[in-house]
Amino acid sequence: MRDAKFALLFAIASAFLPSSAVAQNVPYERILHAQSEPQSWLTYSGSYYSQQYSSLKQINRQNVSQLRVAWMYQPSRPVANLESSPIVADGVMYITEPPSTVTALDVRSGLRIWSYTPTLPEHVVSIGLYATSRGVAILDDTVYIGTADAHLIALDAKTGAVRWNVHVADNVMGYAMTGPPLAIKNEIVVGIAGSEAAVRGFIDAYDPKTGKRLWRFWTTPRVGDPGAETWGNGAAISAGATTWNNGSYDPDLNLIYWGTGNPAPDFNDDDRPGDNLYTCSLLALDADTGTLRWYFQFSPHEDHDWDSDEPAVLFNATIDGKPRKLIGFANRNGFYYVIDRVAGKFITGVPFVKQTWALGLDANGRPIKAPNQEPTLGAGTLVYPSITGGVDWTSPSYSPQTGFFYVSAHETGAYFIKGTGKIEPGPPKGIVGGGGIRALIGEQSYGAIRALEATTGKLKWQFKLLSPAWVPVLSTAGGLVFSGTDEGNFFALDAETGRPLWDIQMGHSARSNPISYEVDGKQYIFVTAGNAYIAFSLP
Amino acid sequence: MTAILRMRIAALIGFSCALAGSVCPAQASPPQDTKAVQLSPEQLQSGKKTFETTCSTCHGLDGGGAMGPNIQGIPFRLGMDAVTNVVKNGMPGGMPALGSQLSAEQIQQVVGYLLTLTRKDEGAVTGDAVRGKQVYESSGCATCHTVAGEGGDIGPELTTVGQLRGPNYLRTTVLYPGTDLPQAHSFLESGGMLEFLFVRVVTKDGRTFEGTRVSEDSFHVVIEDAKGQFHSFRKDQLRSLDKEPGKSTMPSMKGRLDDAQLNDLVAYLASLKGAQ
Repeated sequence: MRDAKFALLFAIASAFLPSSAVAQNVPYERILHAQSEPQSWLTYSGSYYSQQYSSLKQINRQNVSQLRVAWMYQPSRPVANLESSPIVADGVMYITEPPSTVTALDVRSGLRIWSYTPTLPEHVVSIGLYATSRGVAILDDTVYIGTADAHLIALDAKTGAVRWNVHVADNVMGYAMTGPPLAIKNEIVVGIAGSEAAVRGFIDAYDPKTGKRLWRFWTTPRVGDPGAETWGNGAAISAGATTWNNGSYDPDLNLIYWGTGNPAPDFNDDDRPGDNLYTCSLLALDADTGTLRWYFQFSPHEDHDWDSDEPAVLFNATIDGKPRKLIGFANRNGFYYVIDRVAGKFITGVPFVKQTWALGLDANGRPIKAPNQEPTLGAGTLVYPSITGGVDWTSPSYSPQTGFFYVSAHETGAYFIKGTGKIEPGPPKGIVGGGGIRALIGEQSYGAIRALEATTGKLKWQFKLLSPAWVPVLSTAGGLVFSGTDEGNFFALDAETGRPLWDIQMGHSARSNPISYEVDGKQYIFVTAGNAYIAFSLP
Repeated sequence: MTAILRMRIAALIGFSCALAGSVCPAQASPPQDTKAVQLSPEQLQSGKKTFETTCSTCHGLDGGGAMGPNIQGIPFRLGMDAVTNVVKNGMPGGMPALGSQLSAEQIQQVVGYLLTLTRKDEGAVTGDAVRGKQVYESSGCATCHTVAGEGGDIGPELTTVGQLRGPNYLRTTVLYPGTDLPQAHSFLESGGMLEFLFVRVVTKDGRTFEGTRVSEDSFHVVIEDAKGQFHSFRKDQLRSLDKEPGKSTMPSMKGRLDDAQLNDLVAYLASLKGAQ
């Protein structure tokens, strides 16, 4: 009922202002029921369930071949590392321009409404990452961005005026913010980046009105904390497990789901024997307090840089005749996992790409490690998948229409070489630990959009790509899957069969989430490429 | 400008030339400012350390590509100043600006270290470079290859090939072209793809084309045939697309040169190190 009221209010407001933006007001209830207003795109991945799914279907299998560019926006200065996924609400699109500029665009024309650029230090520290921003969050009449120097800033959604600006962490020590905040009821939840600088990860929640910090959950323990025994040295030094992407949220369970990154040093595990909690894990936190309810560690004692920072996809399905609340997670370590999101119980896990590091998963989902797959000095060890993993941070998609989980999979290995550096006190001078990889030579690597049966991970179809692609995926009720390639293609596939239906060469790879919105009765598909923010529609 | 963009512009020039039926100009020579850096072993070691703590996560420990592109030999293709500028100021597509993180001296050292990453298969020079130049000219190499602005544009530019490749590698390539192809620079982020890959396509209407892959994405492929003509195809219009590492549009010199001529040619190629 509430959904209908909001939809009606929105429709009335839009009717009075058919050709311009309406006043911005996106209360929690609208985000909570984002599915009921598919014309908007209110979170990083479209909804709290992070499904990267749009129920719009004006653009469909029959007409997608007519898709063409409706408008393009380019920042006044060229940007690097454009991975910005937009928020669309009430006629306005909120994008970020790396490193930390927020811009509001008219969704009909792509024209700029306002733009805000924070004052960054002359020297922003970016170690093992690049100073980018994957997007903003919106709540009520305020837009929130985490900046390259680790500030969280609240902006008036109508004007871009700063409401408040809080210092989240010390950039001099290597902390940075690249992921979009997650806006839930009365909280703005953020993660942090910097594992390669050997910072200690955390997840924070802030008061949306004042910027006051409400809670912090440290993602690695200190001496005496739960999990300290998994660091060998008693966690006197524990670093990594950064939280540099977006999280998901189950409002009924009041749980936030957030992935964590690799331990530090990355390719040198000499000083951190043990599982190294809570690195390379999925955490379920109580949204009110930040208390850890459960965790699932995909890669205990990790040393291949296989972060687990992809957004967790929440979906509901029936398994063995019982309705279940589930999470689908295509991990960088090469396995696709299905996890019960109530208690964190492992249900199933299967490789979705070639992997050589594990003999399999045990009944609890813990990997049974294969011998001789650790990084070594000298020429290194050939391991599948590569450092880029089966998939990195780029969002997969889940379609309730097909029940498929779509992922842009990487089929490639690499020679992993051990580092020798150690964590030292004080500001980091570079990537801590050293080591790394050598790529395979030859035409051995490729990518693929793979459709997995979401409840089992069974491969239903694949569409092969020339090379492993760092491009997120969108599925729609029009029976379509949108994604791209590193060579600059953007394309639509039949969601049931994987058959290619439309493609365009954009000149540079897409790095942002493809999204969909509707205005004036017209559906748009939106993505970025190079310096460009591009909206597509039917003629 | 990214490698792939440069490649596309080159391809476009080729297309327009082919369409106009005109003779295409030789490709512009790369900057020749690789001579300036003479680093001590200690400085190179320092450059190596900087590379391994700052660059290798994205570019691989051998510069061959990982999450970022293959940058082997990039100072030879872009010039030291351009690479220094990219390290300092970054570039769109993922390369961060490191000017605030690294000192000017560290940047000089790491770019100097990049020069050492690409040398393949050393061996010894046994021939005479002066005579080798005559072998080069009399064997028709310049029809396809450019040295210091002179020559054709079908094969790779050789102006700095002596910096990039050792005598053994040069000998193998002259005798068996295509057997040890370098990693491609024209594919962003891919790592490991091959440059100068021999490709054969058969269209759905039965026409066959062979040549060197100039560019490719998941839906298209562009090849350059042995006459220097570019051909562009949509993959869904092809009956087959075969990639044949080991083959090349370059003819083998095996049997065409005697041992002495071969040694001289290798000596000449090994002497090509750009402006001295």
